[in-house]
Amino acid sequence: MNAIFSAVNPGLLLIIAGLIGCLITHRRIRQAIMVIVPVLALVKLGFAERGVDMAVWSVLGMDLITYRVDNLNFIFGIAFLIASFLNAIYAMHTDDRLQDGMALTYAGAAVAATFAGDLMTLFIFWEITAVSSVFLILRAGTKAAYQAGMRYLGIQILSGVLLLDGLAYVYKDQGTLTLDVIGSFTSFDQPGAKFIFAAFAIKAAFPFLHNWLQDSYSKATVVGAVVLSAFTTKLAVYAFARMFPGFEILIYIGAVMTIFPVFFAVIENDLRKVLAYSLNNQLGFMIVAVGIGTPLALNGAAAHAFAHIIYKGLLFMSMGAVLYRVGTTKASELGGLWKSMPWTAVFCIIGAMSISAFPLFSGFVAKSLTMSAVAKEGYIVIWMMLLFASAGVLEHSGIKIPYFTFFGHDNGHRVKEAPFNMLLAMGLAAFICIAIGMPAIMPGFGFHVLYSMLPYPDVAFDYGKSVYSWGHIITQMQLLLAAILAFMLLKRFGLYPPERPGTILDTDWLYRKPGYAFFKWSGQMWAKVGPAMTAVAAGVAGRTFGRLEAAFSPRGSLARGGLVNVMAMWSAVLLGVVMLVVLLSRG
Amino acid sequence: MSSTPPIERDSSGRFVKPETDTPNVPAHDDKVHPVGKLLFGWVEYPRIGMILLVGVIVALFAFILADVIYTDRHDYFHFAEATWFYAIWGLGAFSFAVLAGWPLGKLLRRDEDYYGEADTKPQDVEDGR
Repeated sequence: MNAIFSAVNPGLLLIIAGLIGCLITHRRIRQAIMVIVPVLALVKLGFAERGVDMAVWSVLGMDLITYRVDNLNFIFGIAFLIASFLNAIYAMHTDDRLQDGMALTYAGAAVAATFAGDLMTLFIFWEITAVSSVFLILRAGTKAAYQAGMRYLGIQILSGVLLLDGLAYVYKDQGTLTLDVIGSFTSFDQPGAKFIFAAFAIKAAFPFLHNWLQDSYSKATVVGAVVLSAFTTKLAVYAFARMFPGFEILIYIGAVMTIFPVFFAVIENDLRKVLAYSLNNQLGFMIVAVGIGTPLALNGAAAHAFAHIIYKGLLFMSMGAVLYRVGTTKASELGGLWKSMPWTAVFCIIGAMSISAFPLFSGFVAKSLTMSAVAKEGYIVIWMMLLFASAGVLEHSGIKIPYFTFFGHDNGHRVKEAPFNMLLAMGLAAFICIAIGMPAIMPGFGFHVLYSMLPYPDVAFDYGKSVYSWGHIITQMQLLLAAILAFMLLKRFGLYPPERPGTILDTDWLYRKPGYAFFKWSGQMWAKVGPAMTAVAAGVAGRTFGRLEAAFSPRGSLARGGLVNVMAMWSAVLLGVVMLVVLLSRG
Repeated sequence: MSSTPPIERDSSGRFVKPETDTPNVPAHDDKVHPVGKLLFGWVEYPRIGMILLVGVIVALFAFILADVIYTDRHDYFHFAEATWFYAIWGLGAFSFAVLAGWPLGKLLRRDEDYYGEADTKPQDVEDGR
């Protein structure tokens, strides 16, 4: 029994618990399950043996490795399970069976996909993440959420279909789908590489494929946006790190990803959308690191993903708390909330300082791994782009989010502080942000906790000797303080663009306006032309059927005898020809 | 011609502070959370903006000075070893990103209901439907 339990992918535990949770009407029992199961899964993962296929299922002659832990996926799994635990606490003020259940199922699918040992298993759980997560958007109950949910589902399923195409090519070429055997792609010329890359690119929200993220996260439920922020995109980063490490084009794509969201975030008024752009920007750092592909860089991608899951979740939680109490996250309608929600403000500031990479916070020890790896490989322009993006992060997540929500112009909202469960979840996330960002004054303390979980811990510990060097602290503080000074001066001289309500156009305009108009026009044209075409087709089909019936029916001319022997002979000849063609083509 | 707010006096002839542009804010704000007062009450100090500005400038120059004194700093790129490099890059990058918001806002901002989705308040907010 113990052996069976230890061979079960921890993600499956979450999926089963999530599906059962959808049926449990008793709120407290359901919520207890939502909180306890991720903890159990964490304990189970802690005891998992690394580098061993712990569960292999034979399905239709294909071996599916459903549970395999190694140094790369371990840290992603840990981060997903911690996020799932925090999210369950954060959601305790609500009584929504479907949302609770689907949140856990979604987290479970992400965990299960992370520990998949083959592409088919990865595909199955990849699709479950898509289907389960859409409920977190739909439960918002608005028309906008419904439409965004449908767009989200469409693009996520497209990602799955591309992955399926890719794995078919891989299977045809290599005769196996085992990730360890396939190894990593080095060129787009390899069978299936393009499809799999595109599938991952969609979920990682690459430029021009990123709109689903801003579109859906900002329209999800209060809890839904927090849950969504943790899993899909980081699963894609893991998938890239698994199958495309050192794939050079990722460096350039990632660098662009760090830059362009900065400009959108400056002018965006909806702060949940600002966080979604910020998420895009952070993913860029991870994708650059995967593209570099050295042990130091892959450590950077993994460390950044871990830290990011926690601090981005914390920022979404704080905005969720504001949305829950005030009813909006529009910067133009907020301000002065420190008077009503001081604890939320404190936690938000901790998240903001973490993402901005202030010393003593998690972003400082995570992001620097990537920055050093990029510099070490001599990518000057990319390094400068990342440095620009670091100042941009401070603008949109470090300053804009806390300043326009809790300080700035007081809009007079006097509301209650966030519910206790929300504060507890935020407090725990804030604690992790600080705990893993502290200097390692003794082994197993501070950033050593994070570095010990990385894919190459020895490389990380070696780097860790200089992470809290004076040189690093001085340069980082210069960058951040100069950026803060810029903010103060721009505000003082009225050069900071005011927060204005409005919709900011992004590349999704192409399919939401001209694209939609084209399909609408096509539909109208079909409505006009369709009946005439249908009438013609029906006429042709009717006449053809009439003639066939006249010949072949029991009353038809061929049934009158005489031709039966000839017909039998020709049928046999035709059958023989078909069989010969099939035989030759197989040979 | 610019209009100045009318100077009002109360019944005893003392000047009364003109009404601000934040009509939602109560005149006597007794609903401030005690923890808020304790942690962030200082933000209402009248000259706090200038104090913070000076504080940040002093801190920035302290780190630049530390950079001058601490000579054991090694960057992978030679130009990044210059004393002012990170400060200038931070100031320039931040300012560029923010100032770009003016033309970008004019170019890309549309009406809130441009896509017909102005109502995005989810049902699970406190006063949700």
